[in-house]
Amino acid sequence: MSSKKQLATGRRQLADIKKLTILWVLAALVISYVSQLNYDAWRRYSPGKISVDYNVYIEPQPPSPMVARALSFGATEALADWYWLTLIQYYGGGTPNGKYRKLAELFDLVSELSPKFATAYETGLVILPGEGFVDEALLLGAKGERNLPEAWQPPYYTGLVYHIYKKDYLAAARAFERAATKPNAPDNAKYFAGIYYAKADSRQTAYLIFKNIAESTTSDFIRERSLKYLGQLDLIIFLEDSAGRYRAKYNRWPANLEELVRVGLIETLPANPLGRPLVIDPQTGEVREKLK
Amino acid sequence: MLKVWWAIALNTWRETLRDKLLYSLVGFAVLVIAASLLAGSVSLGQDARVIENFSLTAMLVFLLVITYFIGTQLVFREVERKTIYLVLSKPVSRETFYLGKFFGLCLTILVAGLIMAAMFLIVLGVKTDNVPVAAYFAVGAIILEAWLLTAVSLLFSTFTSPLSSAVYTFGVTLIGHGSATIWLLAEKGSPVVRGLLEGVYYLFPNLEKFNLRNDVVFNLVPDVAQVGWILLYFVGYTAFLLILGVSIFRRHEF
Repeated sequence: MSSKKQLATGRRQLADIKKLTILWVLAALVISYVSQLNYDAWRRYSPGKISVDYNVYIEPQPPSPMVARALSFGATEALADWYWLTLIQYYGGGTPNGKYRKLAELFDLVSELSPKFATAYETGLVILPGEGFVDEALLLGAKGERNLPEAWQPPYYTGLVYHIYKKDYLAAARAFERAATKPNAPDNAKYFAGIYYAKADSRQTAYLIFKNIAESTTSDFIRERSLKYLGQLDLIIFLEDSAGRYRAKYNRWPANLEELVRVGLIETLPANPLGRPLVIDPQTGEVREKLK
Repeated sequence: MLKVWWAIALNTWRETLRDKLLYSLVGFAVLVIAASLLAGSVSLGQDARVIENFSLTAMLVFLLVITYFIGTQLVFREVERKTIYLVLSKPVSRETFYLGKFFGLCLTILVAGLIMAAMFLIVLGVKTDNVPVAAYFAVGAIILEAWLLTAVSLLFSTFTSPLSSAVYTFGVTLIGHGSATIWLLAEKGSPVVRGLLEGVYYLFPNLEKFNLRNDVVFNLVPDVAQVGWILLYFVGYTAFLLILGVSIFRRHEF
């Protein structure tokens, strides 16, 4: 074969290869496009065919804090930010599964990777309880108190969780009391501690806290409210003392507070500074606010 | 002697520029600006935090990429192209050549690091009106770490191929940043494992010393003693690597 023929054959072969390559590329593109469309359709619209919820595909799968820390190779804060952004996207993305199953894990992971990330604790304490993670929120709050000993927010927010979701007023009072000891804590931390101690009937502590607030606060509103709470506590103590004298005389507790006036132990029933009605327990002689 | 060092260092700098080094700076700028623009809308007001953490981590990664891909090729390329004969036939000792290469790449890393730092600080300043002092220390520590790893990559490049030395240097980086985990494992292991891991802990460069990045978001400025120990560790370990590298390079037969 002459060299010209060889050259022509070579060129033809090269042209064939080029055509084939284009065909292959087009075919690959078509295959990938079609399979992508079908995959998306399967993932989005066929819940019956798969045994797990759709959310499992979109919900994050955070590693354990120990693994994450080891794999961060020192970039713990950057990794914490990554999971923080993941958490926000996850929470903002709705709950196809009915519950943000990984929410508490994500808050735990972020706070483990960045123990001094104050916003993570605050956000977690606000969001988690409402999503059914009350105990996890309290654990997060406790971690926040350990890692940010100077911050008033973790115990303050913890107090709210105890109040709203646990109805544990004594624990709420203790949390607010801890918050009140921190630098720059809002005056109302002490005020709330007083309220909750009163609810939990730790009156002596409540009395001291309200007295302290009234003397130290710069807020007129808080001072006024504190003095009213102090007034109510004074009134309760006065009425219980009178009930004690009634018992010494009649060998039983009065059936109601008006009886103290009727037998002449007190002239009139003083008005409660907080404007709430008070009642006496005829079994124990304890005076408290009338439950609504 | 100093003049020769400087000439080699300057030449190395020019060589790195020809390696399209500036592309990495463009990549960094895009990353920092994209992160800062996205951060505000998706981080619940944590813009500063995200910009600081992501930018400083990106800065370290970009500088290490320069170290891995340029540092490991510097000596190898001279040998492969046989240009090393030209240099060594002149009154240039092998030590001067080796150290010149090291300081040249350090200069590259310094310039790239400062440009990246400027981009990061400008974006942070514009976006948050507040640049924490700790950020300057973190930037300095990142550059020191990249310099130390340059010495590591040069050392490996004296006796192995560029790809291998890049892989080994990457391995040293991982071990160096995993030092806390290594120590944790050592504490939990049997006496033999403990001894082995403690050996690894002390032998490999402890790069976590240079990790001041995590303190930037809280503006925790390192104290004088900490900075002093970091500098001393850097000088000591880098000197050790350079001496080792020079002694291997001196015995190298081309």
